[in-house]
Amino acid sequence: VSDAWIYGDEGGDAMSRLLAELGFSPRRVAANGTLRPPDGDSKAPALALILATGLEQPSCVELCARLAADDDLGEVPVLVALGSGALADGIGVAEGHELLVEPFTADELQARIARARRAVNGIDHDDMVRVGSLEMNLATYQVAIDGRPVDFTYMEYELLKFLVTHPRRVFSREALLNRVWGYDYYGGARTVDVHVRRVRAKLGSEHASRIKTVRSVGYRWEGT
Amino acid sequence: VSGHREFVLRTVEERGVKFVRLWFIDVLGLLKSFSIPVSELDSALEEGVGLDGSSLEGASRLREHDVIALPDPRTFQVLPWRPDSLVARMFCDVRQPDGEPFGGDSRQALCRVLDQASGLGYTMQVGCEVEFFIFAPLGPNGALPQTLDDGAYFDLTPLDVGSDFRRRTIDYLEQMGIPVKASHHEVAPSQHEIQLAHTDALSMADAVTTFRIAVKEAAHELGAYATFMPKPLEDHPGSGMHLHISLFEGDRNAFYDAAPDVPLSPTGRSFLAGVLAHACELTAVTNQWINSYRRLATGFEAPETVSWTRRGPAALVRVPSRRPGRAEGARFELRSPDPACNPYLVLALILAAGLRGIERGYELQAESVDDAAEGLRLPLDLREATDLFDASELARETLGDRLVDAYVANKRREVDDERRTVTEFDRSRYLRLL
Repeated sequence: VSDAWIYGDEGGDAMSRLLAELGFSPRRVAANGTLRPPDGDSKAPALALILATGLEQPSCVELCARLAADDDLGEVPVLVALGSGALADGIGVAEGHELLVEPFTADELQARIARARRAVNGIDHDDMVRVGSLEMNLATYQVAIDGRPVDFTYMEYELLKFLVTHPRRVFSREALLNRVWGYDYYGGARTVDVHVRRVRAKLGSEHASRIKTVRSVGYRWEGT
Repeated sequence: VSGHREFVLRTVEERGVKFVRLWFIDVLGLLKSFSIPVSELDSALEEGVGLDGSSLEGASRLREHDVIALPDPRTFQVLPWRPDSLVARMFCDVRQPDGEPFGGDSRQALCRVLDQASGLGYTMQVGCEVEFFIFAPLGPNGALPQTLDDGAYFDLTPLDVGSDFRRRTIDYLEQMGIPVKASHHEVAPSQHEIQLAHTDALSMADAVTTFRIAVKEAAHELGAYATFMPKPLEDHPGSGMHLHISLFEGDRNAFYDAAPDVPLSPTGRSFLAGVLAHACELTAVTNQWINSYRRLATGFEAPETVSWTRRGPAALVRVPSRRPGRAEGARFELRSPDPACNPYLVLALILAAGLRGIERGYELQAESVDDAAEGLRLPLDLREATDLFDASELARETLGDRLVDAYVANKRREVDDERRTVTEFDRSRYLRLL
């Protein structure tokens, strides 16, 4: 189940219910300027939702800027929900990756989420990521190339998923270790190189080169 | 862990896997496997599966002992062979019924040493060159194996079964997440070498175990038989398993020294000194079979003394010359192990010996410049090696008495069995003469 983090108080309970119905695991972030829910684990959520009505400190603009600048949360898709009254003064309209205007239906929320995830992470509405002949099904953990299944171990899969859904950005080994592995590994920082090698070998010639080595920095996924 | 488990359960369902093989390792490094139907998978992941712990203790079982094999979902992998009926494997940790680690489990023994190293801020990286033979299907027990080719070193002609075989094997290995660096035909007829890219020690030990199965499987499919027996042919070199060892502190290779013409950093020198200081007592593990000593006895570049060198071909340890600026490549190559060893015990003890060298500031002996002759002599046979291992305080501290005792019992029995055997050597040498 993917986490969705909710910022802002007004309408938070209703939003939690809606997101849960859409299959997300909603978590509220306290309105005291923190970026993460309490009892936080370090893994970034699939989605951030800002309820801009009544949001003052920090403002919607400031919150979006801080999310974008955060090492771990920088490429989380952000949806901003505004009351229709706020449209006229334009505050928050340009923020985030997708805009929601209250009142909205569950179907509209789902569609907006799908658009944001598609734009930011390349994830299609059916939880699939498609890059040429490579298909990843994030709901079932299955990967196929030209329709033929490719069998990954869990960590190989998680690494590939992370890279594929964060295209074009360079990640250091350290960042990949923290965000993909957590703290459950024996290999030290070399673990990342070793896993990249394994994933490339399994991807085969057509896709292996999409994982670019950025010398003395880290790795980057090039989807197109 | 819940993510791992969900991944395993979902993959089994999506891929239509019918059976899951639970793998564990006996004290001799031999793979033990039992299958469970996928309907049992959830409870196996939750509670483990009961088995008799004496099955881990090789041919010399100390006593019956109920243990639990707990699958490690991180190692879940669909097996690439037999695509028509999908089977997956997971390595298991073996535990006592109360959840404590079982002392006879060599995989966990390695994990304990890795934890110690990681507490000191170190991780060991291991690369591996595995040699082995593929023969025509075996005749009756004791018959001479038949070679498949007369291939010479680096002979890559497509005329032999060898290259089909290597291609298939490498394909299997890569599908199992074991990247191959290089492969070629070795010196002896029917002999091959495959180099496994470096990784952490636990992954490498798992990879060697998986490798041996994958190679045998690929050979079998081509109507041949693969063996990791260290010395199958009297007149040809045996099969070794050279290990390339390096130690990392975070991202930094602790063996690297930027000064020109310095082969290893002070940490590297102490680590290597530790490995050399304990080389004799660890020979029973790097070379665990009676047959292993026939490989070591006959030269062909197999080491006979405790020595290190940068250039010579026959020392126990070679320190490869570095390419300038390639810090991550600093390493040493241990040349005694053979591919029939228990890789978990070998890597646990190498790391423990190296860490002891660092901890106690061992001085590295002088480099041997000529061919090998200088330096302490390695044990000549399994009996001598077993005595040294039995008395090794390092081995007992690292592996625990239960593992060492079980291992020694197996080896003593092997020595006794051989002592009672009248061989071809006896008959050809004595029957007419005496």
